[in-house]
Amino acid sequence: MGARGHSRLLKEARRAAGGALLLLVLAAALAGCGSRGRAKQTVIFWQFSPLEAIRPVLDRFAAENPDLNVQVEQLTWQSGREKIVAAVAAGRPPDLCEVGSTFLPGLVADSTLLDLTDSIPDLRDSLRGWEIVRYRGRAWAVPWLLGTRALYYNRDLFRRARLDPSRPPATWDELLRDARLIQTTVPYAKGFGMNSGEREILFKKFMPFAWGNGGGILDSTGTKSIVNSPQNREALRFYLGLKPYSLLDRQEMLDQAFARGRLGFTISGTWLLRSLPETAPQLDYDVTLMPRPAAGKGTPASFAGAEALGVFRRSANPSGALRLARFLVRTENAMPLYAATGNAFPAAVAAEADSYFVFHPRDRVFLSQLRSAVSPPLHPKWVDIEETLNSELESAIYGKKSPEEALRSADQKINAILSGGT
Amino acid sequence: MRPRRPLAGVLPWGLCFALFGLIPLLWALVLSFTSLNPLRPDLTHWVGLANYARALASPAFWHALRTTCIFVVGTLPPTLVLAYAVAALLARARRAEAFFRAAIFFPATLSMVVISLVFKSLYAEEGLLNGWLARLSLPHVSWLQDPALALPSIMVMDVWASVGYYAILLLAGRKTLPPEQLEAARLEGLRPSEIERRIVLPHLRPVILFVVLLNTIRAFQIFIEVFVLTRGGPLESTLTLVYHLYDRAFYHFEMGYASAIAYLLLLFVGVLLLLQRRLLGRGAEAPA
Repeated sequence: MGARGHSRLLKEARRAAGGALLLLVLAAALAGCGSRGRAKQTVIFWQFSPLEAIRPVLDRFAAENPDLNVQVEQLTWQSGREKIVAAVAAGRPPDLCEVGSTFLPGLVADSTLLDLTDSIPDLRDSLRGWEIVRYRGRAWAVPWLLGTRALYYNRDLFRRARLDPSRPPATWDELLRDARLIQTTVPYAKGFGMNSGEREILFKKFMPFAWGNGGGILDSTGTKSIVNSPQNREALRFYLGLKPYSLLDRQEMLDQAFARGRLGFTISGTWLLRSLPETAPQLDYDVTLMPRPAAGKGTPASFAGAEALGVFRRSANPSGALRLARFLVRTENAMPLYAATGNAFPAAVAAEADSYFVFHPRDRVFLSQLRSAVSPPLHPKWVDIEETLNSELESAIYGKKSPEEALRSADQKINAILSGGT
Repeated sequence: MRPRRPLAGVLPWGLCFALFGLIPLLWALVLSFTSLNPLRPDLTHWVGLANYARALASPAFWHALRTTCIFVVGTLPPTLVLAYAVAALLARARRAEAFFRAAIFFPATLSMVVISLVFKSLYAEEGLLNGWLARLSLPHVSWLQDPALALPSIMVMDVWASVGYYAILLLAGRKTLPPEQLEAARLEGLRPSEIERRIVLPHLRPVILFVVLLNTIRAFQIFIEVFVLTRGGPLESTLTLVYHLYDRAFYHFEMGYASAIAYLLLLFVGVLLLLQRRLLGRGAEAPA
């Protein structure tokens, strides 16, 4: 081979090497693109259940969705709200967040959550509780877990008061009569547990009587107060009629008094079902629906609350958040959470048929109670409305105002709030 | 010997203070002139002194300030008197002084949340205190449910929780008193009460001033006790200023307004501390 041939060979070799290098770079780039495309996206999820309860559910989600990595954080009931507010204020909210129904109106009022109406039309028939998350026809969160309250009664105190424990009160009159009998017959017992000293939940305990009697808070348009209706006045008069036979204290303390066998009746949630076997294994008690105004009149209404899943407007990964929300609300994923925590029922309609309720008849009572439970209106000014209502109810419970005065005053103040006055 | 680089020594503290104290403090001042809603920071606008004007015209603000002042007036003197008495007793203890000192200081080592939860059980309608009253055939008391008793009940808890801490401070002040001075007073025939009034009390004056200032600031900031025990109720009888501003900030999302309330509180406490210093601080030097 001559010098010319040698130089051509070198040139060819260089060209081939250059081509190979270019191919390598391209391959690496393509591989990089590919791996980036398959890189896990993160969904930040804040919720209130204990991590040991939610973790197995999220493990299943991870198995079904290998491209999503969920970073879960447990909020506490004491400071969760502040943490969410601070995160939103800092512009770094979680992607998906459990939001209680009482906190939801504030978030909706300030357009902090994404409108999910058009993203989840397929979930409409499979979940309950849409009225809790809907405002002006738009859904601002996905109902996840639903909670309500029912009437607990002490069967032992029933017997001591010569009442039939298999016939709990079904009407207002029966509740009043039974509470009075228990208190007057059993020296160490009080008839009924009435909430006081925690203003923030008073309406949740009074309104069931008002709702059951056909009353309400706002009219159907949400622009006018109906707090001072005859139905509400009648309900408040009855509710205050229970006071002489009541132990007045905070919910936590009423639950404790009931556990110690010193309360005939208390209105409480499913959390008490979970704690009583541990705190009072000997207690002979049962749960029944809230009483209706009279036989054949009204409904056995109760308060309906929800834990909903909201996606923040500034979420970094709304599509991933929605995928997680869709997964969480499925019966097979929400039911284990209820079984573990016992706080609130799955919003999934199919959960009612779960075998869990066959073996837990007291839980089934709460399921029945949910059917006649009512949720407060989702209104942008709900925080002010709720505060006013609670404040006036507290005045009535403490005897500072008559039922009529309290409701009239609440009515005027709520109408002022609705018209933008306060 | 003077350290060569004094600034380097305080730098870590200075940085932490600037980052977590001074900057938030100044930022809150800026916020107090705005309409900041933490959920919609994008809609924030300058409102000037409107938040301050609104607070000063608000009955809820004045009610909360009044409640807070009652709390301060109701806790400061008993805490001081009890702490002084406990310190005097501890100073006389001949045996197991360390045990008594630790026992009296114990509440100060507990979180106020824990203390509040314990007292919540004590004060419950079916709680321990009412159980004792029942055994003595006395009528039961609605400690936290009665609007007239809720605030005094919190005051009692607060005094119990803070006496030990201030007693130890006063005891430390007593220990700096030269024993020869006390001995000389005794030799001159002064009675114990005269020694206490003419020698010990003037000696403790700077410590007392320190305790009064510290306790005043802490009492005006009362929040955890109210949050855990009563949430401002019943009938707003325990609605203190810091709880009120917390409510406005985190329930009504009025962070700008809440910041203005916080600055009004700061101003009020500042003026009060200056007055206290002027009244009590004559001749008193800052404690070492």
